[in-house]
Amino acid sequence: MRAIRNCFCLKKRKPGFEEPSILAAETHFTVNEVEALHDLFKKLSSSVIDDGLIHKEEFQLALFNNSNKKNLFLDRLFDLFDIKRNGVIEFGEFVRSLNVFHPRAPEADKIAYLFRLYDLQQTGFIARDELKEMVLALLSESDLSLSNDAVESIVDKTMMEADLKGDGKIDEEEWKEFVTNNPSILKNMTLPYLKELTISFPSFILNTDVKDLE
Amino acid sequence: MAKLTNLNAFDIISLSSGFDLSGLFVENDEKKEVQFTSTHTFSSITSKLGDIAQNLKLKVKKQGGLMKMEGTSGGRKGALAIDAEIFEFTPSFHLVELRKSSGDTLEFQKTLKQDVRPALKDIVWAWQGQPHQQS
Repeated sequence: MRAIRNCFCLKKRKPGFEEPSILAAETHFTVNEVEALHDLFKKLSSSVIDDGLIHKEEFQLALFNNSNKKNLFLDRLFDLFDIKRNGVIEFGEFVRSLNVFHPRAPEADKIAYLFRLYDLQQTGFIARDELKEMVLALLSESDLSLSNDAVESIVDKTMMEADLKGDGKIDEEEWKEFVTNNPSILKNMTLPYLKELTISFPSFILNTDVKDLE
Repeated sequence: MAKLTNLNAFDIISLSSGFDLSGLFVENDEKKEVQFTSTHTFSSITSKLGDIAQNLKLKVKKQGGLMKMEGTSGGRKGALAIDAEIFEFTPSFHLVELRKSSGDTLEFQKTLKQDVRPALKDIVWAWQGQPHQQS
């Protein structure tokens, strides 16, 4: 006879679900925080297609309030969150990906993650062309236009500082050096709200049997 | 007031909403800082901010690229103080960050909504997280 432990046992398992205790042990989140993230995940993953998985449209809806809005950076972020590369973000992937954004995650992890995000073609380098493409994408997203000369000058200035070997692309070693000298670049890689999850999603806390040990 | 010019292409890119996950966790009107882009000059922006500080009876102190605006009357959590920091991408493309440096976040957001945003309308291109409004 199965012992009734907590409500997670009784629910039908959605694909990609991992036990909160396992995820808590392998990330900077406590069990209660993982459960709060599950609340958020449930909300996001049922917004367009109710299947317990976050689809691209649901991610777009969450970040832009528009499920059809295409965005280069969101595409890259979605691909990185989709660790198994099966086109959807499962709960385990969601928690493990957000873990890198935790204030206590090591800076080295954030630096490496950001490099992969910006390495559009996944060649192991950020090429000058990719950098220019991203600047143009941002300007277009913001409805801004700068002259080609202005864009070239911004890209040139950055490449000059970052591309120490002068080969027209930034490798991971050059990237680490560059970020160390320009820490503002890492800003988006830390979400202070991840330390306040149980405040943002308190409804779960009333139902859980698990008490945080810390 | 000296402005900060060592912003680079990656700082520009990081302005993208497609990369800002904070929206998953907090509503725009609960944030302790807001940013806007402006296609005005540095002096035009500082002048406008100075006017606003004067209207709100905030004392202005300049520290390098930072403009500190401090209130004197006590609010729920002490006097409201706002920091304004201006970053240059080009002489006619700036990013301005307004941060609550002390006081109550709700009061900060209320002051932004009622007093600051309307006064900045002429120089704001777009507020972070919101598309540019065609006027």
